[in-house]
Amino acid sequence: MDILTQLKKQAEQVEVLNLQNEKTTVEFEANQLKTCTVAETKGTAVRVIRKGRLGFAASTDDTVMNKLAANALESAAYGDEALFSFADPKPAPIVQTFDKTVADLPIARLVEIGKEILDIVMPVEPDARCNISLERSITSASIRNQKGLDVSYQTTPLSIGLEIDRIEGDDVLIMYDQLGTTVWEENYLEFARRLVEQLKMARTITTIKPGKMPVLFTPTGTLTLALPLSYGLNGKEVYKGTSPMATKVGEKLFDEKLTILDDGTLDGKFASASYDDEGVPRKCNTLVGGGVLKGFIYDLKTAAQSGVESTGNASRGLFNPPEPSFTSLVVQPGNTALKDILAGIDEGILVENVLGLGQGNIISGAFSNPLALAFKIEKGEIVGRVKDMSIAGNIYDLLKNVSAVSREAQWVYNTFYAPYILIPEMNVAGKN
Amino acid sequence: MRDRIQEALKHSKADYTEIRIEEKETTRVAFRGKDLELANANIDKGGIVRCLIKNKGWGVATFNNLDDLLNKVDQAYQCAQVVSVPEPIELVPVEPINQVTTVTMERDFRDVSLAEKKALAERYNEVMRGHSDKIIDTQSFYADTFTHLTLANSEGTYIEQEKPAVVLASLAIARDGDNVQQAHETMALPQGFEYVLDKDELARKAAQKAVELLDAKPVKAGQYPVVIDQMLAGVFIHEAFGHLSEADFVYENPQAREMMTLGRRFGKGILNVYDDGSIPNLRGTTLYDDEGIPGRRNWLIKDGVLVGRLHSRQTAAKMGEKATGNARAINYRFPPIVRMTSTAIDNGATSFEDMIKDIKLGIYACDAYGGQTQLENFSFSSGYAYMIRDGKIAEMVKDVILAGNLFTTLENIDAIGNDFKWDNAGGGCGKGNQYPLPVTCGSPHIRIQNVVIGGE
Repeated sequence: MDILTQLKKQAEQVEVLNLQNEKTTVEFEANQLKTCTVAETKGTAVRVIRKGRLGFAASTDDTVMNKLAANALESAAYGDEALFSFADPKPAPIVQTFDKTVADLPIARLVEIGKEILDIVMPVEPDARCNISLERSITSASIRNQKGLDVSYQTTPLSIGLEIDRIEGDDVLIMYDQLGTTVWEENYLEFARRLVEQLKMARTITTIKPGKMPVLFTPTGTLTLALPLSYGLNGKEVYKGTSPMATKVGEKLFDEKLTILDDGTLDGKFASASYDDEGVPRKCNTLVGGGVLKGFIYDLKTAAQSGVESTGNASRGLFNPPEPSFTSLVVQPGNTALKDILAGIDEGILVENVLGLGQGNIISGAFSNPLALAFKIEKGEIVGRVKDMSIAGNIYDLLKNVSAVSREAQWVYNTFYAPYILIPEMNVAGKN
Repeated sequence: MRDRIQEALKHSKADYTEIRIEEKETTRVAFRGKDLELANANIDKGGIVRCLIKNKGWGVATFNNLDDLLNKVDQAYQCAQVVSVPEPIELVPVEPINQVTTVTMERDFRDVSLAEKKALAERYNEVMRGHSDKIIDTQSFYADTFTHLTLANSEGTYIEQEKPAVVLASLAIARDGDNVQQAHETMALPQGFEYVLDKDELARKAAQKAVELLDAKPVKAGQYPVVIDQMLAGVFIHEAFGHLSEADFVYENPQAREMMTLGRRFGKGILNVYDDGSIPNLRGTTLYDDEGIPGRRNWLIKDGVLVGRLHSRQTAAKMGEKATGNARAINYRFPPIVRMTSTAIDNGATSFEDMIKDIKLGIYACDAYGGQTQLENFSFSSGYAYMIRDGKIAEMVKDVILAGNLFTTLENIDAIGNDFKWDNAGGGCGKGNQYPLPVTCGSPHIRIQNVVIGGE
């Protein structure tokens, strides 16, 4: 008997998630094609609410469905009181996440793309060592519940990761970028070309005197600021009282040039879909508008705990119940051209990558990181790479006053879209 | 199952074929604040086939459906056909092993009710919540995992292992106005339920640290002599040095190979470092790795000089060295790669008092709270820290992040304590996509001169 039908007899509410994934991976290690992998995953996760209490269980063994049902019921026997009910069937936006071109990419074509990438990097940097991972999946998910909700979707995530290591004597440079999409991208080599441009820029090494100076974050560098912020914008942290923004909806907390959204309806993005992972329609939610805090992201459970509606941000793997999670976090581009921002900097640094992203007490908004890849800006020009320096600060202070937000913006790893952001003054530490 | 595995191996046309089947049951209880987040059991069962065609490369197939192993062997073989390495891949020769191991736990967690596990996690949660009204959020986590692992290859190795694991974690978050601080304590061992009983102290310590951090001032950036505790020192040697000892990092990279030339001086004569999967009952214990090689002690640094590295059969063959028992995979979804097991700085001779007595102004940094390394550059945040003033431990400071260059830092280690300790922390190590792999770190206190501490 179908596990939904079976459990409906034993619990007030039932939700069944079926996941199936077929993934093909081609890996180049040190410029050489080394491994090819085919992975098939299949599993079922069940949530039940029985006598008002929530239970959860999951299994990849489809020969033990009775045990799975028993595990879910036992989990509910000890579970917490459920204040919410599973998703109502509702119409949802149409979002493109499946592309036959991606689904049909043969292994040989993945191998070819890897070689095309090597052809871009190696002529420029013959001593570089490239690790390339090309991964194409076909994922099917279906979510059903006792209310008659029955949604299913297929996605075709394609990711191409490129890591370039360059060691020259004691100078070590490791750079990484990634293309991620669920819809075939004609400019699939663009990210590799960009990385090579950076590699060229990083050849000149220069120094800068530590101290207070303007710091310009590139779209990738902006992750350093966005990561602590995203913790504070998560409805779960708000409910738990750990978000420093918990009670501040409607207040102007940041510079008016900052508008931040979470958009789960963009075509081609990994976390985009018509429905979230518990069957609630995905949406575009404004979190910060013109510097004013507008709201947070929620799933059904945290929304009910907080007395609000789900924002369609439930996300889950097979073995864990849903949690509120960002889909595509978007920092809206501003009005200033990048070249004008650079022109206005007499002496400062451009931050592309930091080491230890997310380490330290980021709930409080604090970050402190050595710079993995940063450049010196002198009289409006990028003059060379700086090494052995670090930055630290608290985003709740720094983002109150932003000098400029660039017109140009870029996707970072498929899940984050950001412009360049100029902080007028920050402490940059290093050896004198 | 054994017959079916052996039939599938015989069927393979590859030069080398390996099948690993994993059956795992996990029970977890998680409290967050006053709420129970989770009390449940998961079942995970699956397998992996790895085929090597020497002058082609590796092909891998992973799956949940165990009914058709022959087909999976074919699939992996087809994958290997696609690859084309310029030089044939060799595996270092080893003796096949035939071994079926079972474990006995003092108190088998599979016989303990979910109610009792929930009560235990709840009790530790209440210890934290009751510690102070400044504690605004907590996470109390209990997990047990029982894994039955079967490994067989076309060279005649057949190993069955039972691997239990229990994990406890306590995280406390304290708040005073806009000031939010957190502290965590974790422990994990390949043992039974008896090990996680009576651990109120663990939870109390997390709560106490979080509250104390509210009053700590941020550290002033600069260069200091730094004494680090056993846990941070263990994590440091694992992250900053251990990963460079993994042969897959150097075996095809001439520059890295030069950087890690055996015989190169890495530190003062007092520095000794090893990795050892054969020490029983640690989280990193690896009696047989996922290529069926027995764990053993591998010295990495002896008397300050680099003397060894960690291998898979492929990297060992390529470098003309011996297999070390370090090919590990986090689960059946991944092929084994070179990983650490239990890694340590060996015990030294200096007492903690002697280590700090001559420091006029320095830092005593404890506990690791994440970190990252990029080849020889590293960055770690300590969980909490104290200033050392005039040879004495003084006020607590927060946001202490150690950053620097591995080679300079190892060279600057000028005292090694006589108080060695394995750190039985939970969590694990990440490499590639494989996280978390159970590992253990150990060390005595160590002193490092001229460490750059970041900050505002």
